[in-house]
Amino acid sequence: MAIDTTPIQAVKDKFDQDIGRLDVASVEAASLPEATELLAQANELKIRYTGKRSELAGLMKMVGAQAPEDRAAFGQAIQAVDREISGVLTDTIEQIESRITSIKIEAERVDVTIPGRRPRTGHLHPITILRQRIEDIFVSMGYAIEDDREIETDYYNFDALNIPEGHPARESQDTFYTTDGFALRSQTSTVQIRAMERRGVPIRIIAPGKVYRRDTPDMTHVPMFHQVEGLCVDRGITMAHLKGTVTEWLKRLFGDDTVTRFRPSYFPFTEPSAEFDFSCFVCHGSGTSNGERCRPCKGSGWIELGGSGMVHPNVLRAVGVDPSVYSGFAFGFGLERMAAMTFNIDDIRHMFENDVRFLEQFR
Amino acid sequence: MNISYNWLKEIVDIELSPEETAKALTRVGLAVEGIHGHKGDHVLDIDITSNRSDCLSHLGIARELGAATGRPLISRTGSAATVPLPSVLAGDTVRIEAPDLCHRFTARLIRNVSIGPSPSWLVDRLESLGERSINNVADITNYVMLELGQPMHAFDLDKLQGQRIVVRPARPGESIKTLDEVDRELDESILAVCDTEKPVAIAGIMGGFDSGITAETRNVLLEVAYFDRDSIRAASRKLKLSTEASYRFERGVDILNVVTASERAAQLICDLAGGEEAEFLDMFPRAYMPPEVRSANISAATQRLSGVQVSSERCDVLLASIGVERTESNDAAIYSPPSWRHDIAIEEDLVEEIVRLNGYENIESVLPPAFGAGEHLRSETILRRVRSVLEGFGFSEAITYSFIDEKYDSRFQPLPSVLPISDLPEPERLVTLRDSVIEGAVRMRPTLLPGLLEAVRHNFNQSERNILLFESGKAFAKADTPGEAPAERLLLSFVMTGSMPLEGRASLGRAYDLYDAIGIAEAVLEAAGVTGCIFRPVELVHLRSGRAAKIAKDGVEIGSVGQLADALADESKFRQPVFVCEIDLDGLISRENSPPAYRPLPRFPSVVRDVSFVVKRQQRYADIEAAAKMAGQAICRSVKFVDDFVGSGLAEDERSLTVRFEYRSDDRTLTEDEVEVIHQAVLASIIQNAQVTMRM
Repeated sequence: MAIDTTPIQAVKDKFDQDIGRLDVASVEAASLPEATELLAQANELKIRYTGKRSELAGLMKMVGAQAPEDRAAFGQAIQAVDREISGVLTDTIEQIESRITSIKIEAERVDVTIPGRRPRTGHLHPITILRQRIEDIFVSMGYAIEDDREIETDYYNFDALNIPEGHPARESQDTFYTTDGFALRSQTSTVQIRAMERRGVPIRIIAPGKVYRRDTPDMTHVPMFHQVEGLCVDRGITMAHLKGTVTEWLKRLFGDDTVTRFRPSYFPFTEPSAEFDFSCFVCHGSGTSNGERCRPCKGSGWIELGGSGMVHPNVLRAVGVDPSVYSGFAFGFGLERMAAMTFNIDDIRHMFENDVRFLEQFR
Repeated sequence: MNISYNWLKEIVDIELSPEETAKALTRVGLAVEGIHGHKGDHVLDIDITSNRSDCLSHLGIARELGAATGRPLISRTGSAATVPLPSVLAGDTVRIEAPDLCHRFTARLIRNVSIGPSPSWLVDRLESLGERSINNVADITNYVMLELGQPMHAFDLDKLQGQRIVVRPARPGESIKTLDEVDRELDESILAVCDTEKPVAIAGIMGGFDSGITAETRNVLLEVAYFDRDSIRAASRKLKLSTEASYRFERGVDILNVVTASERAAQLICDLAGGEEAEFLDMFPRAYMPPEVRSANISAATQRLSGVQVSSERCDVLLASIGVERTESNDAAIYSPPSWRHDIAIEEDLVEEIVRLNGYENIESVLPPAFGAGEHLRSETILRRVRSVLEGFGFSEAITYSFIDEKYDSRFQPLPSVLPISDLPEPERLVTLRDSVIEGAVRMRPTLLPGLLEAVRHNFNQSERNILLFESGKAFAKADTPGEAPAERLLLSFVMTGSMPLEGRASLGRAYDLYDAIGIAEAVLEAAGVTGCIFRPVELVHLRSGRAAKIAKDGVEIGSVGQLADALADESKFRQPVFVCEIDLDGLISRENSPPAYRPLPRFPSVVRDVSFVVKRQQRYADIEAAAKMAGQAICRSVKFVDDFVGSGLAEDERSLTVRFEYRSDDRTLTEDEVEVIHQAVLASIIQNAQVTMRM
């Protein structure tokens, strides 16, 4: 005898009707409120058809009322419908939830191409940037960094540097004087004297710092600028060491293919004296870049950088060093000029205007 | 100096192009800055260093070129040598009263000249070198100076009173109208060339107008002389008159070339102006003694200084090529530089000549032997940390001039470490320049703030309203003791104004207020390794009253921070608050910092209590913090500021300060009751010592 599945089928039919009323087909087009409403309805059907108080749960209690041989089949029939309903509901709910999630994700989508939020970073002055690089190179070569007074006596600014009274370099109208007769140092070479007095020899120092000259500001002149002075005194130091040292740091700064050139020159505090040039870092000495006359070197292929030489015996004597035992080299160059070339700055006055649009360009 | 390539080729036998000539000269230290064409000639612009007065002529450059290339000079067929008058007779016409200042004086009479325009070859040659043609005689003196380096002057003989020359210091009250038609006062320090009555030329500098060559001149007295270098330099400075002649005399001309130059000019005058040579006088009161430079071993000295090995023989050959003569003494060679070289006095000078003629390119490149570890300045080590912190907060680095306008006198209160408190008026205590190249900027700054505020104004003018700038640099003040070098002090200062700019965005962050400035000051101090600084209210002339703090460490004032005073802001047309801070970096650097010591991490939870106190406007948070510490409760671990509120529920002169207290034990979890007892003790101390009430 077959079991009576009519009540089971009735539940199934009712469910089909109820689920049919949910417009599940249009879930993919539903708005957030519509989807939320559908989800609520689906959850309600879940409670109604699969909960402990559902009709199928009621029918399950009637398994015992069936003939013993039918009980298994009856139970299985209920379970089959229950599985089917649960399956449909799970799928439906999942589908709606996924719709809701995707609506939310869509609504909260962020435009990652908008610049991030961060306070504007500051920028170091181009002079400081170069100065730090140069200091680091020399420290790695065993040099100590030194600095000293900016307002000096004539002794340190001139006499000790072998620029006696009456010397053209001294009487030039370049030097600023204070009302009580002190000089604003016109070169960082003053630090040579101060440092040798303090440290004695042997010595290896570089001295970056401010210097002052009575130049009216224009595109290539300013009354205050920065120099770096280098000094190495020891037994047996020669011009070959000067050349080696200058060449080495310029290579570290401008690249391995940098070539240096030394030309005879004159400075009161060195003998022999030399000016040093280096091969242009843009055209690498060819004088042309992109088929045009190279800008930084004005087409010469060389950039004039600074002065140098073997420390004059009078300078060594001024600090009590015996020039027959010790020898040394010194060199100096201007940072503004170097910065102007390195960063292609056409007007040196920009360096002291402190326009943030200028400062922001360097790092 | 401008040098004609064609002219050079008349003096030295070279087969070099103008470019090759430039290269050869540059190599031995005569840097050719440029070459330009001029009517079939090439003009070299040569940078001549101040020690090489011998190169201020075509002859000088030709000599260098000869030495550099090994080519000989072309000898000129000179005029028949004139026989000078015996000096006894000459003394009647020329008398040198100051032989220390006038080492040699020649006079040559040329009669019956016709003054007129120069021939075109002479005009062209002068013009190619940038010189203007005047008349034949004046042009010839100019021409010979450019050729041989010897300045000279032509007088109209008939305008010299007594037709005599006396070389003597000017007398007080004497004056002269010079060729440039300027009346100049002379004094005893200035050497004058005079006739029997009055000065007719300022020796070595410029001739007199009244005795000069004119179209009517018939008879010429040609002066070719050698004057003391220092005397000419001093006179030129005193008169503020520098001429081509003084430029050469003060650097040194060739005393043995004086007669040759006179002959050369005389011959040209006779050729071009139709004169006849007459008497020639050569007063040479003291014999010329060439300097002697001793060298025991010139080859060894060369190697010792340059690292280049040059044999003794080659050293001598190179030196001979520039006219240095070698003689032997017992233990050393003696080298005598030629009379045109004033710059060779010691062995090192000889070495330079050898090395440059041998070529600087032949010096090796060698690194000096290792020495020891390098080191940064302590101030730089600290500054790098400070800079990096400030960069992170958005500050860019400014560099402003060390001299500032005197209009800032007494408008700013410099730090006491720069300018100690004193009764003297500020301008008297500041370092002042005799003059400046920027109008008004004669004070060496005692504070960095005026410069930074000018930078702020510059940026405002460029429509940038949100500005954060800092600068580190020295500030200056006179020393207490007169004659002592001024005080220099390394400071760090910053300015901030506007709102926080955001990178890459046009929109702005929060507007800055004083607490931002105070926070940055704290960050700077921390980066410099200084902790435990105290901020206290202060009245400073450049800061707004009630919005200014001085910063002290261990009782020493090391800085100030605040909002710029209204008066200063108004003058600069700042329409938004500007915050400024200045810190004495030197004061921080001199402190020794102990390395950080580790403290074990807390093992038990802490309990926090927030309390609001009602305080008067002028009462301070710091007093509450101090009063809490006075309670002496070790378990009270921290007292922190939460909020400062003004408004509803509070009287006009009241604020509500909310403070958070943290309680924690190192050995157990505190119970609520335990905390409460301690908390009440802390509060009692605050209420009693800080004189505040709790807000209910």
